Amino acid sequence: MRDLINFIIRFSSWLVFAFYVTLSCILLFNHNPYQHHVLMTSANSVSASIYGIANNVTSYFNLRSINEDLQLRNAALETEVVALRKQVDDYRLREYADSMQVAEPLQQFGFVIAHVINNSVSRPYNYITIEKGAADGIRPEMGVVDHSGVVGVVNVVGEHYSRIISLLNPDFRLSCKIKGSDVFGSLVWDGINPEEALLEELPKHTVYNPGDTIITSGYSAMFPEGVPVGTVIKSASADDDNFFTLRIHLLTDFSQLSTVRVIDNKNIVAIKEVENSDLHKDNE
Amino acid sequence: MLRTIIDFILLFIIMVTAQAVVFNHLVLWSVAMPIVFIYWLIRLPVTTGTNTTLTLAFLLGLTVDICSDTHGMNALTCTLAAALRLPILRLYFPREEDLTDPEPSVRSLGSGIYMKYLFTFVTVYCIMFFIVEAFTFFNPLRLVMRILCSSIISFVIILAIDSLIHSRREKRL
Repeated sequence: MRDLINFIIRFSSWLVFAFYVTLSCILLFNHNPYQHHVLMTSANSVSASIYGIANNVTSYFNLRSINEDLQLRNAALETEVVALRKQVDDYRLREYADSMQVAEPLQQFGFVIAHVINNSVSRPYNYITIEKGAADGIRPEMGVVDHSGVVGVVNVVGEHYSRIISLLNPDFRLSCKIKGSDVFGSLVWDGINPEEALLEELPKHTVYNPGDTIITSGYSAMFPEGVPVGTVIKSASADDDNFFTLRIHLLTDFSQLSTVRVIDNKNIVAIKEVENSDLHKDNE
Repeated sequence: MLRTIIDFILLFIIMVTAQAVVFNHLVLWSVAMPIVFIYWLIRLPVTTGTNTTLTLAFLLGLTVDICSDTHGMNALTCTLAAALRLPILRLYFPREEDLTDPEPSVRSLGSGIYMKYLFTFVTVYCIMFFIVEAFTFFNPLRLVMRILCSSIISFVIILAIDSLIHSRREKRL
């Protein structure tokens, strides 16, 4: 017994060293981001409030470019409203009242506006912290967009802050398709350039042109169909691949994120229930 | 003694906050990332026991990890760096018992030795950190660029912070 105690005392530094290395390796290799506890992320109240204060100062710096973006967006929306109004009038003229319900599927989505208080683009796993949390109706696995395109998906939710897995994170794959066609693939970041990503697993026969728009496919409950994601730059696959890969220019400027919208799919609980009941049936 | 402890607690808070709020976002050409909070480890007195140093280093890394969502990357590297700190110092200053002041600084080591110690420590830290980071995407050229550029920029910024703190201390004395 005494030998054991002597041993422990003599090698205590090695034991302490091994203990900390193991502990940090556990943290490091725990790869499922949905399992992170809120205390271990930047969404915990102490670090989030520090980021909140810092953001109060820095958010003024890019007001000019945000303003320009909003103007452009406003103009685009105005033209859209005019076009839609015209369409609605057309339908009315044709006494085709039922078609008014076409817009209904979109009503299942609500938005929560949130400010980004912390964001990174240069790490292999990038995350974003926003100043809305469970108290504002944010739940894990809600989709997040900004005025130009997809941003990411909520993963850890604190009381007043939450953390988003950025699109610039290999843990996040997004089902997307080329606008105007029905072929879909999976969008993932390759860690090199924060402005570009890869659209993988497309079928071999995919037809595309550089500049084609990539939109969400709507196959998950997080994003509605048709949210813009990026534009095609070029093919990125080797000749012997079984699938086709495209290099995509992302529409969202991740280095300048300031205000984002969290998509609240009101039917998500119902969809989850259906999916789960199917699973139970399979298990039985 | 108490004053030193309070000084170090303050320095800890300042370094972690500065890293989280300023330097994490100050990435040049998406390769050069200043890692500045390790200045705290560099300044930790050499008389601190090994177990205490390791614990403090782990806590420092963990705090930075939590703030910048890096899950254990800095905690692991800080623990390794803390274990290597005295061997690095001994490369240039073989008998640390001869130090006039247990805190490694320009005054206690002389500027030449201090700079060498600082640069080696920062480079070793950057090498370990970016190798751990490269587990995700392995790209040798980018890895070398990140290590080189980040070591240089971290070294320069740490020197600047060091001279700021020193000029203030000397005024106080």
